[in-house]
Amino acid sequence: MRLNFITFVFLVISDSGVIAALLFLYSRYHIIHSRMVYILAGCIILMLVLRAFLFFMTNWIYYRKGINKIKGVVSDFKKGKFAQSYREVKVVNDLDEILRELVVAGRHLDSIMTAQKKEIDNFIELYNSIIFSISSYFMVLDDEDRVLFANDGFYKKFQFQSDEVYGKKIEDIFYFVNARLKGGITQVRQTGKTVVLEKTHLLTLNKISIIADIKISNIVVKDANQIIIIIDDVTKKLRNDYQISLMSQISESIQKDDEIDRVLFTILTGVTSGTGLGFNRAMLFLVEEGMLVGKMAVGPDSFEEAIQIWTAASTTSGDTSFVEIKSAEMKAGVNLLNRVLAARFPVKADNIFTRALNGRENIHVADSWNDERVGGEVRDLMDVKEFIVTPLVVVNKGIGIIVADNKFNNAPIMKENIELLSIFASQAAMSIESYSNLDTVRSEMQKLSERQEAIVESEKLAAVGRIAAHMAHEIRNPLVTMGGYARRIMQMPKEKSKVSKKIDTSAEIILKECERLEKTLSNVMDFSRPAKFIKEFNNINEVIRDTVSLLKNLFQEKKVEVGMELSEDIPLVKSDFNQMKQVMLNLLQNSLDATPAGGAIRVRSRSEADLIEITISDTGSGIGEEDPNVVFEPFYSTKVTGVGLGLAIVKKIIKDHNGTIRASNREGGGAEFTIRLPVPG
Amino acid sequence: MAKLLIVEDEKHQRELYAMEFEDAGYEVDQASNGKEAVELVKANKYDLVIMDIRMPEMDGIEALGKILSRDKKIPIIIYTAYSNYKSNFMTWTADAYVTKSSNLDEIKNKVGEILAARA
Repeated sequence: MRLNFITFVFLVISDSGVIAALLFLYSRYHIIHSRMVYILAGCIILMLVLRAFLFFMTNWIYYRKGINKIKGVVSDFKKGKFAQSYREVKVVNDLDEILRELVVAGRHLDSIMTAQKKEIDNFIELYNSIIFSISSYFMVLDDEDRVLFANDGFYKKFQFQSDEVYGKKIEDIFYFVNARLKGGITQVRQTGKTVVLEKTHLLTLNKISIIADIKISNIVVKDANQIIIIIDDVTKKLRNDYQISLMSQISESIQKDDEIDRVLFTILTGVTSGTGLGFNRAMLFLVEEGMLVGKMAVGPDSFEEAIQIWTAASTTSGDTSFVEIKSAEMKAGVNLLNRVLAARFPVKADNIFTRALNGRENIHVADSWNDERVGGEVRDLMDVKEFIVTPLVVVNKGIGIIVADNKFNNAPIMKENIELLSIFASQAAMSIESYSNLDTVRSEMQKLSERQEAIVESEKLAAVGRIAAHMAHEIRNPLVTMGGYARRIMQMPKEKSKVSKKIDTSAEIILKECERLEKTLSNVMDFSRPAKFIKEFNNINEVIRDTVSLLKNLFQEKKVEVGMELSEDIPLVKSDFNQMKQVMLNLLQNSLDATPAGGAIRVRSRSEADLIEITISDTGSGIGEEDPNVVFEPFYSTKVTGVGLGLAIVKKIIKDHNGTIRASNREGGGAEFTIRLPVPG
Repeated sequence: MAKLLIVEDEKHQRELYAMEFEDAGYEVDQASNGKEAVELVKANKYDLVIMDIRMPEMDGIEALGKILSRDKKIPIIIYTAYSNYKSNFMTWTADAYVTKSSNLDEIKNKVGEILAARA
């Protein structure tokens, strides 16, 4: 620039010198024509002006160029592009110098940034690998438990829009079900330590439910405690595990001699449990004598009930077995169960249930209201838009159906669910079939063992009979002699005197005692004789009152209190009054013998369904045997004076009345006898 | 006068019956076991035999058979302290089965009944 200016000044001076020399030569020697001088002078002036113009023009362009270059570099800087393509900048003027400085600074910045970018890239890579490797859903909460962030997976899984989650409180996203989740967050805030909640049932407000392992951690960002929640969906894994364990539970339940209801319940829990197939409701129908009969149902009656069940399921500890949830589920859904139990469809009728059964195919009803195949009765029973019917098939024979739906969360029934249910149903069908086979075997076994018991009992009684008969014989003979002679003494003609009167009285006493013993013998022999009794409709309360008043003196003598709690509205029982009295007498005497002075005996009667129950309890020494029922064995006695037939007689009489008697020890000491007699229907 | 044979191993009992029946107007012979009874029946004619079951040497049931094989028409009453032999068919061949009692009215009535039917 400076150089240009000097060149310019030098040229102006040299041009002016040439002009001055020309003017001098002209004025002194007139060597050229004067017009030429003017022309020459004009040219020189024009050249000067041109030269000046050119000079300013070039300088202006130079300047613009430099400024633009600088502007470009600065704008690159602004964009974060620090490295420039300029290698060397030829410094011609100030602008060049500024540009060079900028390029140098840019290089520095670039090297710094490249180094940092590498680190950031590493971090992002690490971060991504963490996020993707856990394939989890996660969310970050601020210190007021509001959602700061949730990942895409979270939105997709729970079908939320970002504005439905961002800034919301945790309870606005999940149902209060997640007391466990809230508790976990609180714990993390307090201790700062990471908490893992295993197998937690999560239910969102839009009714998407999963079972998840939840990891809650604390991070401190800008002095604020943020919470990271990582949700790991384990529903599928658990379902697989659960199906295996469920099948073993079912077979266990069968082996354990459970009621069929329990087996069916266990099966349906598999259909409804979150870890099972996860349906909201499940019903089971079995074919019986040409009818499809409702047998069992599991599922809540309302959405509120559903929440309660899920809460119970979610708050129980880690290895929640469905047995624990059962009680809650059992309590819920009573209406559903009752409705299903009352439902009967002829197998030959045409509705969606019989179609699935007879066609042995799964039927997925997408719109129950408008599907003609469903049938009015089934529609009313189900009262839901979408459901699935799966037949229970054993060796090409339909034995029943399972019906399942999602009445409460309205989740659509997917193909996958249908397949799972169908696999499950085939296993369940086999379980039910094997149960009913087993049940038949079992009831046959039961009959056999009852017969065997009866034989053993009758053998025992026969032995008792033989011994008793022999004893009776041995005792009766001398009695007959004694009594006979006493009678003879009484009948002998005597003089009327005080002595002869005394003789008669003494003989009479002997005779009376003999007769009493003979009577006792007859009673014992009655026991071994086949029972012949008169069955009439008797009020058991009367029997009890009669017997108690008979023994009143004995009770008073022994200072034992007798209490009666008799239900006045018990039905009459067809029974032999005297035999029942014998039962009460033997039992009360037995209790009285076992109860020390100051003790109490209580007699209660009540009716229950189709039987009446009589309980006699005492505060005595109880029964010192592992099985208290041995007291009913003939010749069992702990008394010093007693043959041990009293309770055996009681049992025999009760048996002859088609009743049962059971002995047990009371918790607070003492024995309790419970008699149950059938009431004629 | 009807003649009875009382078969009973217990002496006092046998004598009691004898006295009672003699008082009631019968002629009475006594045997202390089945064997004696069979011998007496061979030698004498009785209108009725009262037979105990349990006796030494020969019991009443065996004697019953032996007597009946000789004379099918002679009425025999089993009179025993066993109350459970009633259902034993061996005793069914007898004309009656009475359980012993200190009260002899039952056996007396039975004897009268059978003899009246025979007369």
